[in-house]
Amino acid sequence: MPNELHISSAFDRDLEGVQALVLKMGGLVEAALLDAALALESRDDALAAKIRKGDKAIDALEEQINVEAARIIALRAPTARDLRTVLTVMKIAAALERCGDYAKNLAKRSVVLSQMAQVPGAAGAIRRMAKAVQLQIKDALDSLIQRDVALATEVRARDAEIDQMYNALFREFLTHMMEDPRNISACMHLHFIAKNIERVGDHATGIAEQVIYLISGSLPEEARPKADVTSTSDLAGRG
Amino acid sequence: MDDLRIVERDVTTQIPKITARGVDVFYGDAHAIKSVDVDILDHTVTAFIGPSGCGKSTFLRCLNRMNDTIDICRVTGEILLDRENIYDPKVDSVQLRAKVGMVFQKPNPFPKSIYDNVAYGPKIHGLTRNKAELDAVVETSLRRAALWNEVKDRLQSPGTGLSGGQQQRLCIARAIATSPEVLLMDEPCSALDPIATAQVEELIDTLRSQFCVVIVTHSMQQAARVSQRTAFFHLGTLVEFGETGQIFTQPQDPRTESYISGRIG
Amino acid sequence: MTTPKGSLLVQDARTRKRNAAEARFKTYGKLAIGVGLLALVILISSILGNGTSAFRQTEIAMNVTLPEAKLDKSGTRDMEVMKKVTTLTYGPILAQGLADTLAAEGIVVEGLTAKDIDAMISREASAQLRDRVLADPSLVGATVAITVLASGRIDGYYKGRVSMESAVLDSNVTPAQLRLADALKDKGLLVTKFNWDFLTAPDASDQRPEAAGLGVAILGSAYMMLVVLVLALPVGVASSIYLEEFAPKNRWTDLIEVNISNLAAVPSIVFGILGLAIFINFAGLRASAPIVGGLVLTLMTLPTIIISTRAALKSVPPSIRDAALGVGASKMQAVFHHVLPLAAPGILTGTIIGLAQALGETAPLLLIGMVAFVREYPAPYTAADGLFGEPSTALPVQVYNWTQRADPAFFERASGAIIVLLIFLLIMNAVAIILRRRFERRW
Repeated sequence: MPNELHISSAFDRDLEGVQALVLKMGGLVEAALLDAALALESRDDALAAKIRKGDKAIDALEEQINVEAARIIALRAPTARDLRTVLTVMKIAAALERCGDYAKNLAKRSVVLSQMAQVPGAAGAIRRMAKAVQLQIKDALDSLIQRDVALATEVRARDAEIDQMYNALFREFLTHMMEDPRNISACMHLHFIAKNIERVGDHATGIAEQVIYLISGSLPEEARPKADVTSTSDLAGRG
Repeated sequence: MDDLRIVERDVTTQIPKITARGVDVFYGDAHAIKSVDVDILDHTVTAFIGPSGCGKSTFLRCLNRMNDTIDICRVTGEILLDRENIYDPKVDSVQLRAKVGMVFQKPNPFPKSIYDNVAYGPKIHGLTRNKAELDAVVETSLRRAALWNEVKDRLQSPGTGLSGGQQQRLCIARAIATSPEVLLMDEPCSALDPIATAQVEELIDTLRSQFCVVIVTHSMQQAARVSQRTAFFHLGTLVEFGETGQIFTQPQDPRTESYISGRIG
Repeated sequence: MTTPKGSLLVQDARTRKRNAAEARFKTYGKLAIGVGLLALVILISSILGNGTSAFRQTEIAMNVTLPEAKLDKSGTRDMEVMKKVTTLTYGPILAQGLADTLAAEGIVVEGLTAKDIDAMISREASAQLRDRVLADPSLVGATVAITVLASGRIDGYYKGRVSMESAVLDSNVTPAQLRLADALKDKGLLVTKFNWDFLTAPDASDQRPEAAGLGVAILGSAYMMLVVLVLALPVGVASSIYLEEFAPKNRWTDLIEVNISNLAAVPSIVFGILGLAIFINFAGLRASAPIVGGLVLTLMTLPTIIISTRAALKSVPPSIRDAALGVGASKMQAVFHHVLPLAAPGILTGTIIGLAQALGETAPLLLIGMVAFVREYPAPYTAADGLFGEPSTALPVQVYNWTQRADPAFFERASGAIIVLLIFLLIMNAVAIILRRRFERRW
């Protein structure tokens, strides 16, 4: 990390420690996400169960990060960049915990879907979307570690692609449901899954914005590029 | 990574170095310290905090019998260092002070050379046999006090010619030159600027591996930064004593909470 | 009541009054200093005016024949025989020498008698010549060139005390002698030059002010200062350290403190009476010995040293003592290794001031008998009288002595002695300042 060292080495160790915890948590969340998409595609219930159990570790890490951050604030009275680091870390932990919950939800639904008939191409698309979102998380956390504003801005911009992917999936599921009402149940689940993955993407963007706040001292001014049109237009009529 | 931190933060030994039981201190008729019981652990930094006049400095000075120099001061109760009562009539306070070193609030180097400052203690206690050994002791002490690199070329220049932070580190080097087992520090940073303070605090953190350190400070933030155990004194009584992180995030006694959050004192 | 807002550029009445009061106070201060300086200037100029001439003395150069017939009756340069020749014999020899020199130089002065010629030369000169011949008997029979002191009145002529008019009324000098002196001066045989003997020669009798010197007095004062230094310094410093560092703080020590301060204020003559009673009457020491003077002055200087040492010890900050104790030094180690070296400048200054005061004390010395007329240099140690036991005199006492004598030449001598005393005091104070600076640098 390019920061200068504090005279008190214990302070440096505390800050590094809490950031390491965040990275660890991020790793767990990324793995959970990819594994959940894999479980969906390969209809692997055992893997899904494992992911659901693994969410406990993610929640425990969030609590540990909060305790550590509170301790740093109480004992070290951080200021300026150090203070923003601690606050950012707390917010990122909260965001990652939500992402972990979505991954858990994905795993839960994949178990249900494994009992139903497969919707052709859905699992693949979901997997591709999950991969893109996992990359978002990875890049957002990388931008935290490297204190890289450019990377964080890029993550923010790429959210539009995630939104496009979600739009496409939304239309596709709508089409499937209109074609054959027997698909409705499966497509509803798939739709929720896609929505959750899109929410994870939003959280990743939020993480990137927190990183920009940490580095520059203020949140980015321009609104994040939003391409999600599903809530503002009627896609059903366009068949 | 976090395992390392947790190990560091924990005290590495639970063996008490100094045990105080029922200690009362009277200045004439004034009852300054009221029945204090405390266990100070080895290889740990213990901080005494509290508002002005709460008795923390008085109690600290009991630990090396510096209160003996004040005629009207009377100490009752038991203070055990390695299970030996230091107020036993057989104990010579001069010998005690070679084992329990002290650093004071205002840096007070002797008006001699830097070398002589550090060498004085070992010389009068006869700890070295020849000049080579004395040189070695001086160098080790200055290195441990993080001062060697700054003064190694001018050991013969007067100790009073150093800056405030350097003088205080010189006093620390002087105190550790007699290889004490306990280091008492009475508000060591109160006369220093923030950078010098941070350097001394970092030094105290490294000294912990060799000594038992007890530090009195009127800055709660300093106690938070530097200690593993904190004792809160108020009006002569020991109100609360525990692990530092615990004291500053979840104090048990409401008086402690009031003091720490700036509501009293 | 609200204060009206005014401009800062205009002084209000109160400020003006206050400034005026301060200006007045400053003026008073300057006036006071002016008066002090004026007094000092008057004192110094009067002393210097009267005393600097004591450092110059008039001498006459002449050739004198030393006849063997008179000086060595045996002809064998036998010391015993030659010693029997007194200064009475040498006197006329000198007079003859001067007369011969006058004849050789062709100096003629009307009204000059042989007695006048004789009276030109100091009575001291014959003793000096005798000493010289006894020291070097080979001179007998030869003609040597010597310089001798001129008599007191001749010396006074060149210092303004004697003039042609006063010589007419003076029984000790005639105008003819003065004219002869001038003639000798023109020939270069009579010069007035710097007189080292003033500092080294012993005192001389009333008739010979030109030969009087401070040698004995300086030695006596030096011995006494040595005694005072050796006795008062250790005793004073030790008792002060004990009182300040080790003694318990109770009523007894308070009493002792008060009494020591009072002792410093006791008139010095009381110490003289004390010395007389104890050292001379009770202990049987010899009166007018420097040892007795030294002991009396020690008693006088002790309170000064004790008080200044205490002040110096008190001025050492307690943080140094704490630091020493904290490192594990005992109380004694803390005092001797740390407090004393730091207090040393103050102690030294106090000691030197005490010594300087003792140097100038006259009253107690008068009482113990150091007023005697002493001609021999006192030895530091003799078997008969012990250490510093030989009788002596002291500088201030010598001043007193000389002012008592009738001859105005002695008044000049006294002023010269005062100058010497002042120079010593200046030197001692300068030493005090230098030492203090040297020690203070290491603080």
